[in-house]
Amino acid sequence: MPDNAPVPVQKWVSIVHKLKTMAAAAVAVTLLAGCGAGAAAPEATGSSSAAGASGETLVVYTNSNGEGRGDWLTKKAADAGFKIEIVGAGGADATNKLIAEKNNPIADVAFGLNNMYFAQVKSAGAIEAYEPAWAGEVDASLADSDDDKAYWPLVKQAILLGYNSDKITPEQAPKDWTDLWSKDEFKTRYERVTGLGTATAQLVFAGILSRYKDDSGDLGISDEGWKQVEQYFKNGSPAVAKTDLFARIASGDVDMGQMPSSIVAEREKSFKVNVETVVPSVGVPLAVEQVALVKGTDKKEQAQKFIDWFGSADVQGEWAQQFNSMPVNKSAAAKAKPEVVEFFDGLKQQDIDWNFVQENMGAWVEKIELEYMT
Amino acid sequence: MIRLDNIEVSFGDFIAIPHLDLHVQPGEFFTLLGPSGCGKTTALRTLAGFIEPSSGTVHVDGKNVTRLPSDKRQVGMVFQNYALFPSMSVRDNIAFGLRVRKEKSAESDRLVRDIARRVELSDEQLDKNVAELSGGQQQRVAVARALVLRPKILLLDEPLSNLDAKLRHQLRQQLKDLQSEFGITTVYVTHDQDEALAMSDRVAVFNKGVVEQVGTPQDIYDRAATEFVCNFIGDSSPLTAEFVAEMNRLAGAGLSVTANSYLRVEKASLTRPADGGTAVGLTGTVVSRTYHGLHSRYVVRSHGADIRLLVKEDGGVHPEAGSETTVYVQPGHVLQYHPDTGAALQDAAPAGQDQPGRDQAAALR
Amino acid sequence: MSSTPARTMLRSPFIIIVGTVLTWFIAAFLVWPNANVLIETFFPGGTFSGRAAEKLLSSQRAMKSLGNSFLLAVALSITVNVVGIFIVLVTHYFRIRGSRILFLGYATTFIYGGIVLAAGYKFIYGDKGIVTAFLLNIFPGMEPDWFSGFFAVLAVMTFATTTNHMLFVANALKGVDYQTIEAARNLGASTWTILRRIVLPMLKPTLFAVTILSFLTGLGALSAPQVLGGRDFQTITPMILTFTNSPTSRDLAALLAVILGVATMLMLAVMSRLEKGGTYFSVSKVSSALQKQRITNPAANIAVHAAAYLLFAVYTLPVVLIVLFSFADGAAIQTGQLSPGSLTIDNYVRVLTQPAGLRPFIVSVIYSALAAAIAVGGLLFVARILQKHKNWVTGLFEYLLHIPWILPSALLALGLIISYDHPNPLVGGAVLTGTTVILLIAFVTVKIPFTLRMLKASFASINSSLEEAATIMGAKTIYVFRRILLPLVLPAAAAIAALNFNSMLDDYDTAIFLAHPLVQPLGLVIKANTDGAEGVDGVSNTFVYTVLLMVITGLTMYLVYGRSGSRPGGRHGSKRGKRGTPDADAGTAVPVGSPATEAAGAKVSTASGGLTG
Repeated sequence: MPDNAPVPVQKWVSIVHKLKTMAAAAVAVTLLAGCGAGAAAPEATGSSSAAGASGETLVVYTNSNGEGRGDWLTKKAADAGFKIEIVGAGGADATNKLIAEKNNPIADVAFGLNNMYFAQVKSAGAIEAYEPAWAGEVDASLADSDDDKAYWPLVKQAILLGYNSDKITPEQAPKDWTDLWSKDEFKTRYERVTGLGTATAQLVFAGILSRYKDDSGDLGISDEGWKQVEQYFKNGSPAVAKTDLFARIASGDVDMGQMPSSIVAEREKSFKVNVETVVPSVGVPLAVEQVALVKGTDKKEQAQKFIDWFGSADVQGEWAQQFNSMPVNKSAAAKAKPEVVEFFDGLKQQDIDWNFVQENMGAWVEKIELEYMT
Repeated sequence: MIRLDNIEVSFGDFIAIPHLDLHVQPGEFFTLLGPSGCGKTTALRTLAGFIEPSSGTVHVDGKNVTRLPSDKRQVGMVFQNYALFPSMSVRDNIAFGLRVRKEKSAESDRLVRDIARRVELSDEQLDKNVAELSGGQQQRVAVARALVLRPKILLLDEPLSNLDAKLRHQLRQQLKDLQSEFGITTVYVTHDQDEALAMSDRVAVFNKGVVEQVGTPQDIYDRAATEFVCNFIGDSSPLTAEFVAEMNRLAGAGLSVTANSYLRVEKASLTRPADGGTAVGLTGTVVSRTYHGLHSRYVVRSHGADIRLLVKEDGGVHPEAGSETTVYVQPGHVLQYHPDTGAALQDAAPAGQDQPGRDQAAALR
Repeated sequence: MSSTPARTMLRSPFIIIVGTVLTWFIAAFLVWPNANVLIETFFPGGTFSGRAAEKLLSSQRAMKSLGNSFLLAVALSITVNVVGIFIVLVTHYFRIRGSRILFLGYATTFIYGGIVLAAGYKFIYGDKGIVTAFLLNIFPGMEPDWFSGFFAVLAVMTFATTTNHMLFVANALKGVDYQTIEAARNLGASTWTILRRIVLPMLKPTLFAVTILSFLTGLGALSAPQVLGGRDFQTITPMILTFTNSPTSRDLAALLAVILGVATMLMLAVMSRLEKGGTYFSVSKVSSALQKQRITNPAANIAVHAAAYLLFAVYTLPVVLIVLFSFADGAAIQTGQLSPGSLTIDNYVRVLTQPAGLRPFIVSVIYSALAAAIAVGGLLFVARILQKHKNWVTGLFEYLLHIPWILPSALLALGLIISYDHPNPLVGGAVLTGTTVILLIAFVTVKIPFTLRMLKASFASINSSLEEAATIMGAKTIYVFRRILLPLVLPAAAAIAALNFNSMLDDYDTAIFLAHPLVQPLGLVIKANTDGAEGVDGVSNTFVYTVLLMVITGLTMYLVYGRSGSRPGGRHGSKRGKRGTPDADAGTAVPVGSPATEAAGAKVSTASGGLTG
């Protein structure tokens, strides 16, 4: 049965013999795997002209597969001769999965996670250093800060405070996050998070807490900094599970809240609202989505080729065109949408010590969840 | 005490009891006997108030209870499986009806202990869980639970049907003793003719929703009003026309040769009865003999009929299979039934007997 | 039922074989992985760390959330029983007009749950809900946001989790000997007295079992408090999930999970103790089938009818709206505004034509079916042995088999990964991570406690003399099991399997860690849709998936019940005995609630399913 399956099943074939009760299960699941791969296969074989396709499927973990990205990439890769299987999971889930599987990795490539997540994955030893062909086309300061760089930047994402511009003029709007809880007119009008599981929420707090770095303070943050967090949670309207911020803005529940730059345009359209964003004087936190080679993959060469291809100016440019993103690759930026490039050009990036943030984020999240969130 | 008049019971299209009249005397032990599915339980449940008849009336102690619910009829019931409440102790089971009536607890306690003593349940047993009791004890609990409310009548629905033979015999006696001690009018449902004959004052034999005969045990045994009753009760040998003709020839009995004729096994013998003036002897061949200790059962073929009979093992003569012998029969013991209607032929019964049961059976046809 | 000394028990080869397999399974998949994960969290670097306890004790929010979870668990144990018993009675015990329709309405909880169910209730009672709008017309002064907090969470979860009552309590009710009811009636007991003193006491073991499940559901509550709890009523599960996903805070998650687990075990112990006292099943050898009872008091009759139909509306409205909203666009769903013109089948087209298409459905169906079959099939033997022999060995095994109730499924998954991402002698030196088998193991594991409890209960209701009779006739243990016991527990086993199957279809917590990347189950796809990664369409997709899942689960229940319905009366058929003659049965002509007509889906809300999943 496994022989018929054109997928790497040898990993588990051996145990089939050992777990008799599980045998039937394994067979059935294999059949599935077989038929699934069969369904995906024509795309790859149909255009096997391109670079060094070995026919082996690359498993790609990402948190950036939503809104059609995964499908688009799978197809583009197939055209280029890469047979890939996208495994989508949220940033934290994908990070945990990469770390959990480090002794027997399933993924070959991971992308989309920001520097904070990749720093965790790297310190767990689940990715290995590799210098892509396009390393010279990106700002190396956005990549892994170590000398043996394991993850490389692809896309810039700004973490913004947005407000309903139909209701609030730029003059009335808050000038910084801290205005939300220090000025009475905003105290009940902003949506605050109810959990710190998402990358966006963590980055918002990275941006706020970084301003109050104090080596003698609790977890490296001064009391004043923690007071800000306390105020953030004391005020504000708690997010409602499974109700989008834009839906709440549309219905008038709230007027402002956190949002990553890439979603703004599309959500404005869906919920028929207009949103403007605030750029505090200290700048906005930039999340940089990265790509890395998974340590221990048995398709290393193929995976490296894929990274070289995916990060190239052409592919990143098309990606940016397609999904309103801001590529890090300088040549690709030329192909991105002008308004996006313009927005990022005018954007002041907040200066954040990512090593400091990465070291402490787990503890911060824990402290906030336990002490400040209500 | 109990009168069922013109009762008809139907379930949808199915008519379980087309027409039923029954009268039960005060203090009587009255049995409804019949095979499975004959309507006897339906009749009992109609009496208990679990089934509402589609027509007819039910009277208990002169009061029309046809439309009254079960608990207002003053009837106590012992169910086929006793229906003891498994989640309660013996005491709680017996006291259940009293508590429902909101009897004072002291009074209720006294009544429970009183009834328990009378059905011979010890104090220790009262505190047990019903599952810990033997079948006999469970029956006593069921009876006590029914009687503690002092019902006017007691209904027993095949209470012995799930027990082993020995226990059945024992409990049969126990039930009968309890009934005579309490003197309560009792209606008993069973499919076991032995039980019916041994326990009852009177028996109603049911067949397909119809009462075939009502009478004392002896009535229905000796003077079975219908062919069904004759076959259902006791053990008898069917006789051939040739056999009956031979009897007529020997004794000048004038029995009908076209009727279906039967002879009870105990009424035939291999020796001439000492006082048997009218007995005639017919020759036959012993077909088989089976030894039962107390007696042997014989099958003797005579004039085409296989006559079954019993011979007491008292050291007398015992012909073996194959040997020629003589069967002695009194023509008056032959039971004859109309081949079409199944009704007993009048002249077959000894004259001068009052036969209310037969009248009833005839009336029902 | 009797206690058997452990030594005697070991003389049976059947028990030795089952015991050996079971010991291996427990050691390899219950004890070892979970011990690993607990050791790693509580003894980082080999020394005990009390950090987690300190942190939690000093956190007001953690303590409050924990308190809320317990409050919800206790309250839910009561309310679910009240509502659950009521709906079982109106569908199976009392003569209520249209009880078949009522049954279908109440059975809607079988086929859906979780976040979408909470959303469904919000459409109706939330600040922009239909009922709220109606009430606001009548009482203009009322708070539009009235349906939130503890009360709202409790109400929604109560109505959402009566599934177990509908299945197991209803089944137990059918086993009540009707003669005991007639006897009580004959003794003058009223409808209410019969119910309270005779019928309900006989249902106690089943009620205990479903109470444990309700308690667990309350403890593990996740989506209903998130959607409806508001600021003041948040529970602990979201916090556990957050901490589970953060490597540096995993000890907090584990500690919280252990606290909930210990509470579950205590509850279990208390219930077992309560259950031990009495005899609940009919002591008689012959019982007669239940007949529906008329409520004689006209006022009570009207009140019960009214309550039954009100509940019917409460149960069915959310489903109707979910189905309707599955045809609406994402913005309409999020704002709760529905206009008839905006309904299109776009959502369905989008979901069914995405490249993955129906594949995740097939993967999930196969995984769930296999896991359900293995869990039920394997535990049939185990449950029988545990139920039949009571001694310290079986007691120990029973508690070990409840381990999956102690830890959340995400931690169970982590334990499996930690233990089997390198060759391990426990599984013959194989590496399990990255295989398709590991997720199956996790699915089976997670379903063990529920399956075991329910199977044990159904074995307990079998007359032991049946087995003895067959043994005396020379039948071997396996043969007796296959030919005598299995047919009797089959309807219950099928129902349990169906519930297991349904609850695993949309699993995410275990799949995210364990799924083979090329064989991804539905839960991952749904999560990707609902997380907002798919944008506004994601929300509509969730509704589509929910409706499609309803179809699958409904179909499952139909198949299972359709099949078991072909054996009249299920396990009671054999007990009806002599009364099954026209003589007695004519009066009970229609068997109560013939299962075939009760075709409905199942979406049980057990520890890991439904609202908590």
